[in-house]
Amino acid sequence: MAPRDPQLLKGIVSLLLLQLLAERESYGYEVVQRLHETGLTDVLEGTVYPALSRLEREGRVSARLVSSHAGPARKYYRPTAAGYEALASGAASWASLTAVVTSVLNRPVPAQPIEGN
Amino acid sequence: MPDTLSLLDRLRIERVVWVLDQRLYDLPRKTRIAKRREVRENLQVAAADVGVGHALRNLGNTHRLAAEYRAAEFGDDPRPAWLAAAVFLLTAQLFFTAFLAEAANAFGAGIKAANPAATGTFTWSGLGYVQDTVTYSFVNGQGSSVGGAWTPFAWVLWAVATICVGRLWRVASLWRRRQAAVTQTS
Repeated sequence: MAPRDPQLLKGIVSLLLLQLLAERESYGYEVVQRLHETGLTDVLEGTVYPALSRLEREGRVSARLVSSHAGPARKYYRPTAAGYEALASGAASWASLTAVVTSVLNRPVPAQPIEGN
Repeated sequence: MPDTLSLLDRLRIERVVWVLDQRLYDLPRKTRIAKRREVRENLQVAAADVGVGHALRNLGNTHRLAAEYRAAEFGDDPRPAWLAAAVFLLTAQLFFTAFLAEAANAFGAGIKAANPAATGTFTWSGLGYVQDTVTYSFVNGQGSSVGGAWTPFAWVLWAVATICVGRLWRVASLWRRRQAAVTQTS
């Protein structure tokens, strides 16, 4: 698999988190594991935890503490109404962006660039 | 499960959690405690899953993590460093006062060294620009002093240095942004 640009991934982490949390309420480390299961193994905890904090501050996710028999209470996140809205608009923007980028990148590349005037 | 972690593993996690906590001092206390608990819990689960070394590596550099948490809390715009400003304000006051007192004491010690039975009034203009005149009164080698305090210029220097260390000029733009946000919301 080609290596991914971390900056490219960073821009869409919030969108991915909203999607995963919309599928299933999760706590921080669980979200990281779920991201890894999708193949995004280069997204690490140090990126996900602050991203969850940011989403919470922006009111896009809400959190609740759930007691755990294996240790202290865990903080589970789920999208709010604003989070669902952000997810829908973000997904639409992403689809539109990837469509444009893919159409550009799929053009044949000439052996030499055409010379300018 | 976290129950399987050894004491050493827990101590390694605690060290990272508290280093992070120190770097999150600009956050409101309640938020900082919540972050600390959440990171600890996640690290314990991760350590039980992949080993403590791997869990800590995946968390990354605490300096960068703290910066991201602060950005998540306050936004990406530049902010003043209140803690740095407060630490400088107090320590600079302490050390500089002690330094000026030592300079004045050295003058007094010089008089006694030159004449152990000195009698009279001796004046020193103090360290240039930053210290007031020091006057020693000696009677048979026993002296007392007055003066040697900070000059107004030293106080101004101290205030300017505090502003620079804490990047306090950012307070004005921060306040303007908050006002704009309040206006936009209302």
